[in-house]
This record gives sequence, C-alpha cells and structure tokens, in this order.
Amino acid sequence: MSRYCITIDAGECIGYGRCVDLAPELFVLDGGTATVVTAETDDPAALDAASECPMDAIVVIEQAAA
Amino acid sequence: MHHDPTFWLLARASGLAAYTVLTLSVLAGLVLKSRPFRRLRPATVTDVHRTLALTGIGALVLHAASLVLDTTVKVSLAALVVPGLVAYRPAAVAAGVVAGWLFVVITASFSLRKRIGVRVWRRLHWFTYALFGLATIHGITAGTDATQPWARGLYLGALGSVVAATAWRALVPPARKERTA
Repeated sequence: MSRYCITIDAGECIGYGRCVDLAPELFVLDGGTATVVTAETDDPAALDAASECPMDAIVVIEQAAA
Repeated sequence: MHHDPTFWLLARASGLAAYTVLTLSVLAGLVLKSRPFRRLRPATVTDVHRTLALTGIGALVLHAASLVLDTTVKVSLAALVVPGLVAYRPAAVAAGVVAGWLFVVITASFSLRKRIGVRVWRRLHWFTYALFGLATIHGITAGTDATQPWARGLYLGALGSVVAATAWRALVPPARKERTA
C-alpha cells in the first residue's frame, strides 16, 4: 500500500470542484477554491483528483509504505 | 474611384473565423465541464479551450481592424467599442460590438481571476452564453455571407452543437472515473 502526500497550488486552483466530487474526504471547497483536508492518505482517490484537475493544480507525491 | 476589396474580404473572413473559433472554444469548455469523452485529460482540454479563446480574440482584432481600414462600411475606432455608432444595420452591428466586449472581458478575466476572485470569474463565465448568442445574431443579421448555403450551415451547425452540448451539460451528470488498478 502506498501513502500519498497531497498539496494544492492555490494560485492555480479555480474552484472547479472536481477533486471534491472524486474525493470528498480529502478535499473541500473553501472560499471558492479547494483546500486539502487530509494531506496524507492511503486513499488512491487522491490520484484521480490530481489527474482530473482541469488546472493541474493538485500535486500528489506517492511514497512507498515502509 | 477603384475600390480595393482586400479589407472588406478580410473583415468578412476574420468575422467568420472568430465565430468559428469562439464556437470551438465554447464546445471545448462544455466538454471540460460535462466530460463526454472520458479519455481526454481535463488539463489538456483546458489548454485547448484557452488557446481557442485566445485565437478567437486574435481573429476578432483582425475583424475590427479590417472594418476600420475598409471603406465599404464606415466604421470609426469609437464605433468598435461603442454600440450604435455604425449606420449600416445598426442593431445587428451593435450586437457584434457587445459580443466583442464580452469575448474580451470573459477571456481576460481568466488572467485576472486572482485579482477579481475565482467566484467573480466563474460568474462572469456564465455570460459566455450571452456572448455566443449575440455573436450568432450578429453573424446572421450583419454578415454579408449569411444567406449563402455554407454560411447557413456554419451558423446552424454551431448553434446546434452548442445547444446539444449545453443540454448534455444540464442533463447528464459528469462520469466518474473508474479505478482499474
């Protein structure tokens, strides 16, 4: 199992909300843009959110579990 | 005096080009929103959408400049930005001026979204429907070529595809990506 570290480039986020649709437990829309609720997770939905972001604003770093 | 038709032809061609590229940009935006083609990467569609919009602005600038340079219809610099200053089909041309404003403001708002806030930017984006409607009316009612069968095909095709894509947006929820691994 992998762990995923999630960050959002706040300057790029346009509040599209696709990440919140795909991974509501990881992201939330706050003040019009998305923020990370859970910065570290083993939920692969983080990868879906990153690949489906229309602005490429989500960076997910995958770490192999120790 | 001999009348050189270069700018008049350029004005017509660039107007049709601006409308065509605007339509493609609107369709790309709707494809991004409702995801009918699931294999397309959203960030790539965003790039295509933005590039088409900027290309449309380029064609719009050419349309405006060639209308000022041409002498068939008298269009002053002020008439490019103030609706109602052109004697030729005033309402039809005014629709084009307002559409031009909307096109520029909506496209520029993307770069200004940090200053105006993403919520304002998103609200502004809804005016794209007004922009497309006005541009269609302008093309059909002011366009010299609008009665040509190919031009009718262009307008009907553009209108039909945007209406269909909007209906898809409204009626079909965006597909969720299925995880295969």
